[in-house]
Amino acid sequence: MSVVTFRWSRFILRLGGCLFLWWVLTGGRASSWLIGLPTIALALWVMNRFPQAPFWPISVAGLLRFIPYFLLQSVRGGVDVARRAYSPTLPLDPEIIEFPLTLPAGRPQMFFLNSVSLLPGTLSADLNGTTLKVHVLDRKVDPQLGQLENRVAQLFKCPLGSEK
Amino acid sequence: MGIIDLISASLLLCSLPFFLAGTLGLLRFPDLYCRLHALTKADNLGLGLVVLALMIQADSFQVVIRLLLTWLLVLVAGATVAHLIAHQAQQDGHQPWRR
Repeated sequence: MSVVTFRWSRFILRLGGCLFLWWVLTGGRASSWLIGLPTIALALWVMNRFPQAPFWPISVAGLLRFIPYFLLQSVRGGVDVARRAYSPTLPLDPEIIEFPLTLPAGRPQMFFLNSVSLLPGTLSADLNGTTLKVHVLDRKVDPQLGQLENRVAQLFKCPLGSEK
Repeated sequence: MGIIDLISASLLLCSLPFFLAGTLGLLRFPDLYCRLHALTKADNLGLGLVVLALMIQADSFQVVIRLLLTWLLVLVAGATVAHLIAHQAQQDGHQPWRR
């Protein structure tokens, strides 16, 4: 696997994405570009400084299957942590577990890391190579990270288990 | 008050316990890691409910997309910052609280 250097196609795609995002967020007001354009330039510069991982496009069918799952899990996660926060006895039994990641590096891994933190009782604490340290609120609850990994793999149509 | 207003009001009321839970967790939970759980998950759900309440009041599609994007950006920012803080805590050797 070679290190990817600057590529125009990727740059144009990112520029377009940033412009569109800013346009939607500000309703396209002309004066907002005074802030928007320098910010976008800064964002593109920062993005370019990060190591470039191989690109995995999102599959639309995978996304449609992921959204309801994610929403349901977010609600469960919020309700779960709220219940613990309100409970007088503070029912927490936390520990840090290690999860061997089998998703390929780049977007699939980043997506997984962020999803873990939004799911019930889990927080991705540290990624070391392919070992993810996950802080769990209750060690008696199965965090079902394997299931999440499968769903993320479907989302990016990427293979599991091949460490590249 | 129409039915839409009623639904919006209910959603907003539902969001309040979650924002309160996020702050309560921040104050009550025993260590940094547990507090991050409270902040990311409870507040995200609260904000999601607020966004939903406002989306059904929106009079243009662009506003709906803008609200949705706002929520998504907060989700990504929240999860990313939580991970960065937890990562640094790990590097600094913070041991998680244990019962």
